[in-house]
Amino acid sequence: MSSRAGTTPSTYSPSTQKKKPQKPTFNDSNGVRSDGRGFYQCRPAYLKTGAVSAAGGSAYAEFGNTKVIVSVFGPRESKKAMMYSNVGRLNCSVSYTPFATQVRGQGSEHKEYSSVLHKALEGAILLESFPKTTVDVFALVMESGGSDLPVIISCASLALADAGIMMYDLVAAVSLSCVGPSLVIDPVLEEERWQDGSLMLTYMPCRSEVTQLAVNGEWTTPKIHEGMELCLDACKKLAGIMRSCLKEEADSPSIQ
Amino acid sequence: MVGLSVGETNFIRGGIAQDLRCDGRKRLSYRPIHIDTGVIPQANGSARVRIGGTDVIASVKAELGRPNSAQPGKGKVSIHIDCSATAAPIFQGKGGEALSTELAADLQRCLLGGKSGAGAGIDLSSLSIVEGKVCWDLYLDGLVVSSDGNMLDALGAAIKAALSNTGLPKVNVIAADATSSGDQPEVDVSDEEFLQFDTSAVPVIVTLTKVGKHYIVDATEEEESQMSSAMSISINRKGLICGLTKRGGAGVDPSIVLDMISVAKNVSENFINVLDSEIAAAEAREEE
Amino acid sequence: MGSSNASGDISADMEIDAFRRLFPVQFYERHFVKSLRPDARTLNSARDTSVALGAVSSANGSALVKIGCTTMLAAIKMEIMTPSTESPDEGNLAIEFHMPPICSPLVRPGRPADAAPVISKQLADTILSAGMINLKELCLVSGKAAWMAYLDICCLDADGALFDAALLSAVAAFSSLRIPVVSLNDEGRVFISEEMEEGKSKREPVNKEQRKLTLSNIPFSLTCVLHKNYILADPNAEEESIIETSVTVVLNSSGQLVSLYKPGGPVLAYTAAIQDCVALTKQRVQELQIILNEAISDMEVD
Repeated sequence: MSSRAGTTPSTYSPSTQKKKPQKPTFNDSNGVRSDGRGFYQCRPAYLKTGAVSAAGGSAYAEFGNTKVIVSVFGPRESKKAMMYSNVGRLNCSVSYTPFATQVRGQGSEHKEYSSVLHKALEGAILLESFPKTTVDVFALVMESGGSDLPVIISCASLALADAGIMMYDLVAAVSLSCVGPSLVIDPVLEEERWQDGSLMLTYMPCRSEVTQLAVNGEWTTPKIHEGMELCLDACKKLAGIMRSCLKEEADSPSIQ
Repeated sequence: MVGLSVGETNFIRGGIAQDLRCDGRKRLSYRPIHIDTGVIPQANGSARVRIGGTDVIASVKAELGRPNSAQPGKGKVSIHIDCSATAAPIFQGKGGEALSTELAADLQRCLLGGKSGAGAGIDLSSLSIVEGKVCWDLYLDGLVVSSDGNMLDALGAAIKAALSNTGLPKVNVIAADATSSGDQPEVDVSDEEFLQFDTSAVPVIVTLTKVGKHYIVDATEEEESQMSSAMSISINRKGLICGLTKRGGAGVDPSIVLDMISVAKNVSENFINVLDSEIAAAEAREEE
Repeated sequence: MGSSNASGDISADMEIDAFRRLFPVQFYERHFVKSLRPDARTLNSARDTSVALGAVSSANGSALVKIGCTTMLAAIKMEIMTPSTESPDEGNLAIEFHMPPICSPLVRPGRPADAAPVISKQLADTILSAGMINLKELCLVSGKAAWMAYLDICCLDADGALFDAALLSAVAAFSSLRIPVVSLNDEGRVFISEEMEEGKSKREPVNKEQRKLTLSNIPFSLTCVLHKNYILADPNAEEESIIETSVTVVLNSSGQLVSLYKPGGPVLAYTAAIQDCVALTKQRVQELQIILNEAISDMEVD
């Protein structure tokens, strides 16, 4: 591919010899995906709070191969340059480790995800409960296995709860991919690569409010209805798991 | 930020509730739209769109490049938005940067479709010249000159107008030597023949701003300061939804989301027609 | 000394937490007299240490290490490079230490932590000079292709003794490393050959099977902080912030000294103190070796 010119980067990661990876088939009559899940079945979720002792609150989330840690710091003093504000500020930052992706990355901040994370959470937090100060939400994706953003958002809301930040409700997030004619929920990396469209929904079940919705690709209105319905259902279930995770943490005798 | 007194706030909110906004519009009507095309001679295509006090310029620059190895049969498009610091004080420094990247990301989502290219306003495979070797790289640059609300819709419209104003030079492949894998094929870029860009699939962006219980289109900056949330929906001529993003902190009920989508769909039909006729008029003016 | 006495007097009427915050040095000294530390350790003992291999599946080798609350995630990604003309039959290592903002309240995004580049450099020096890895083992085709091992260590939770945890995670990641089976194509590019196709493939793989690196002279380290005559092994973040003199000793598995690092500090140590540090490190090396071996055998069972 690349001629051995001096300008090309000196290393590359070896790829598989197959030139064209095959598009996964989704017209299977049984409706089974490559990892054995049904179309409307989410990956098993493992959630745990208190992953980072140095942080005010933190959570670890593992959905299949997607592994995320979120730390929450504050409320603490806002940056000096910030003007006075009678409501609190929320500052979000998402970064990837260099080894999170298949090809080694730079491990830098993911600006787009940071801004979506902010938009998804700000509606859930009672910002007026910590005037003049800032709450920092930092996420680190240890391994990217698909549906990264919704996992980050769910994990972040759990970390906020762990930090004792006042919220209206937990925010649960689920995405789905539209591959050909079928909708698959909580897609893995491979499915995301072939998706024709994607839909991500972040939802506060107790208040029945959508805090963020991002759609991509070509959708008919009935399909959007169907997709939202599926995501809402999954969000409700996920929020239940998140809630029980927090309860377990509260019930277990604390070490400190 | 717009500093508004309680009285002004109530006036705006009350007007919206009674379907009579401050400038005399109804909730779902636009301000007058004015389009000029070909405003930047150096670019392959450009357009200036003014909607009320919002003034944006978009330009298209095409360069020959190398396709991504993951998608050898497709060209590349990148969108960059710049918010002029003179347009509003909040655009200065970091605030403008954050807004610019957010607008660019939203436009990308609304115009370029899904990963496989479904629902894309720009057919990326039409930008390919020699598969895996040469393709067009389109650089879409947007500049916000002056802002009075509804920037995303204006930028979307400007990009659509700029694309329809774009002529890509015809490229002849002289020596496509398929056997030598490392070499670039020789190409000749014609400076006489231009290929018109097909923009019929480019969607329009309709932003519905929710103020109180109602939603309005084409909000001014004063009205935007009163919003609880806003939904930007990009819809193409076929009535298919090509992208959707939400702004604003407050959450909305799922049923309201669906209602907003159907309202946006109705609005978009009209908006597409208005835009198309304005673009046609602008092109006619330019040719004179 | 006057202040110390004064604080000693009021400490009787003061709540413990307030005393700890206002007079941290005195608070610690009171513990030291009784050969104890606030977290109930003795002065010389290290915190509980655990090693888990293969934590990240997107990497060729990885390890998660915890020393007390300090958590490190190290992962190795293997890429292909053209070896330099000076050493055509050697691969290379690139080691980087990251402190993402999640690990500590002191790190903010966009502003990298001060400690990160220092530890990065220390790690690279230690690992390369210890002779743990034979770079010749990373060679594929002499002068044409060799492996470049990118070792990235991310601190997930910073609670003192960062270098010790980072070095242990690096060593553990190397011991979990499996070099993939690759073959050369006509253009001189290296491809991963899939095991399924191996029978059919006409091309001879460059290396026949997934292989491990042989690790010799594995380095282990222990950081101690010095205060007056006391030596505290494996300090946590609070202890590090109060006591500024630290000594880091790196020994290899056969007990040879790899590096010794004492970056200034108010305490000027006698050689005897340094010798004590080395003796403590010797004990620690044995502990760590057992922990690492257990982790390796755990992984092989799986």
